[in-house]
Amino acid sequence: MLENYLPVFIFILVGVVVGGVMITIGFMMGPHRPDDEKLSPYECGFKAFEDARMKFDVRYYLVAILFIIFDLEIAFLFPWAVVLKEIGMFGYAAMVVFLGILVVGFIYEWKKGGLEWE
Amino acid sequence: MGIEKFIFYIFSVLLIASASMVITVRNPVKAALFLVLAFFASAVLWLLIKAEFLAIVLVLVYVGAVMVLFLFVVMMLDINIERMRAGFIRYLPLGILVALTMAGMLIWVVSGDGSAFNHSVLHGPSYSNTQALGLVLYTNYVYPFEIAAVILLVAIIAAITLTLRRRPNTKHQKPAEQIAVKRHDRVRMVKMKAEERK
Amino acid sequence: MIEWITSLLSFLPSGWVTVIIILIKIVVIVLPLMLAVAYLTYAERKIIGAMQVRLGPTRVGWNGSLQPIADALKLMFKEIIIPAKASKFLFLLAPLLLIGPALAAWAVIPFDAQMVLANVNAGLLYVLAITSIGVYGVIIAGWASNSKYALLGAMRSAAQIVSYEIAMGFALVGVLMAAGSLNFGDIVRGQEGYGFVSWYMWPLLPLFVIYFISGVAETNRAPFDMAEGESEIVAGFHVEYSGMPFAVFFLAEYANMILISALASVMFLGGWLSPLAGLLPDSVFEIPLLGPLLGSGIHWFFIKIAVFLFFFLWFRATFPRYRYDQIMRLGWKVFIPITIVWLLVLGIAILAGLPPWFSAA
Repeated sequence: MLENYLPVFIFILVGVVVGGVMITIGFMMGPHRPDDEKLSPYECGFKAFEDARMKFDVRYYLVAILFIIFDLEIAFLFPWAVVLKEIGMFGYAAMVVFLGILVVGFIYEWKKGGLEWE
Repeated sequence: MGIEKFIFYIFSVLLIASASMVITVRNPVKAALFLVLAFFASAVLWLLIKAEFLAIVLVLVYVGAVMVLFLFVVMMLDINIERMRAGFIRYLPLGILVALTMAGMLIWVVSGDGSAFNHSVLHGPSYSNTQALGLVLYTNYVYPFEIAAVILLVAIIAAITLTLRRRPNTKHQKPAEQIAVKRHDRVRMVKMKAEERK
Repeated sequence: MIEWITSLLSFLPSGWVTVIIILIKIVVIVLPLMLAVAYLTYAERKIIGAMQVRLGPTRVGWNGSLQPIADALKLMFKEIIIPAKASKFLFLLAPLLLIGPALAAWAVIPFDAQMVLANVNAGLLYVLAITSIGVYGVIIAGWASNSKYALLGAMRSAAQIVSYEIAMGFALVGVLMAAGSLNFGDIVRGQEGYGFVSWYMWPLLPLFVIYFISGVAETNRAPFDMAEGESEIVAGFHVEYSGMPFAVFFLAEYANMILISALASVMFLGGWLSPLAGLLPDSVFEIPLLGPLLGSGIHWFFIKIAVFLFFFLWFRATFPRYRYDQIMRLGWKVFIPITIVWLLVLGIAILAGLPPWFSAA
């Protein structure tokens, strides 16, 4: 099993190295003439006012939290999907109950307006 | 066998180094990124003990989801580092207590008669631990599995009640209403006598 | 070929030889992939040009066919601007976090019955995990730039990617249920039988459509390109990038498009399988030249990828951009309920052994 993961591991390294090499080439080939105006962040030609790192609507956090929960749900679905044929009707019923409980949460979230963007 | 040990040591060192960077580095965003690295290194370690499914799910759930939330929060909230530093001494005894308890439990488990580890069995290359997990999780352990669903349900409800704030003065379009508008909704014809100019 | 290289390198310890052979295989995958990305940009300009009754690039080379090379060279000689107050290391790390996963996911994709770099048991899970890392590239790029537009684009993009990942995950679970395996080779072999009728796209049709649309949203392509909506937040998370780092972002986006297309063809259209195998009599596949062409092979895989890529380009030429609330509504309120319902329907179909896909053979 582990020898199957060796190519995967090397491939991840190669993927990052390819990007790194490209950027290095860019640094070697391209000119370097920095000046204040050029390095200032883009603001449609105005001087930047207030800090760029602003506060965001709490809705983004809600999306992230809900994403975690649903991602976990998917993680639970994976082994189930693989063995569905072996565990048969009992396993299916177990998952129906599991999804049923979570659908209650989903409906609650829907009715509360947690999915609205306005 | 040699290369496996080599990889183990590299990633253990990486794990410990990045974990200590998490608590020492000043910038909270960088700390969160080091935590990502730590999760990644531990996923590799889990892979080395052939816990294939758990290793990948660790990356999928913690790196792919939980840390994204951490980054969102850490990036967008103004966390006052000075004030957090001030609490360091105050919380130090509690921290030490937790650390000692955890270390004690680890030692207790590892230094026992080894009965905790005797169950490990070596399997052939076609053995899929996703499948093995699935075969027991939804049959023998079906009650804990359903309890997990309830915990997730509680998490959904808690997340919504804690974070959902209706903003009263948002401006957004309602295209359906815009299209449905008739003339008499917007213009009112008023019959009146011509007024004399003063 | 591999034996020849092994004998050539026999003076090295055997561990090194394995690594070198793996590296050679990786290069064999990555180089054509890069070339495909370059010519995908060319195809995009030509095809969208044709759809809008324009010519597209015509100057460099025959019919503009050297245009992507010229673009690459141009980007190479551009100055790399790192904005003042940006965190330099993270700024340069971000593009790597996007390109790395986009390439590394190819490790487990089977090109042919034998041709796969890493025959991993949990292939599908690996792909889902590795592609979920890409979102870091977007977030870090937005944050490290220290620019409002970049941060806005990054937040929008991250929330969008994350939302569609759920729909995508559910769709993948459907594939898993049908195939009963996480291994891509097994998933393709599960679709053997009666040519294109046996492909999973038929029993999984809603999941297939949702998977592909989510794929378009995950890659931030039109009509889901809110994150870089030029008309409102200039270019989104990569507004401050120039020269090669920008090129890497660009490359990652197109590599991801190809990856999504490849995954869709492996999981729903039977990968390398021919649409006719099993439908025509065996004797047809023994005709010289025509037989192998009609039979299963790597060329079918490439044809399927090309079809999906054409859809990507077609979408861009056809659909107007979604509004952000519409994007979120589609992901959460349409796709997730449909996938959950369909998973339960599919479970019944599988347990009942619905032929020809799930009959217990």
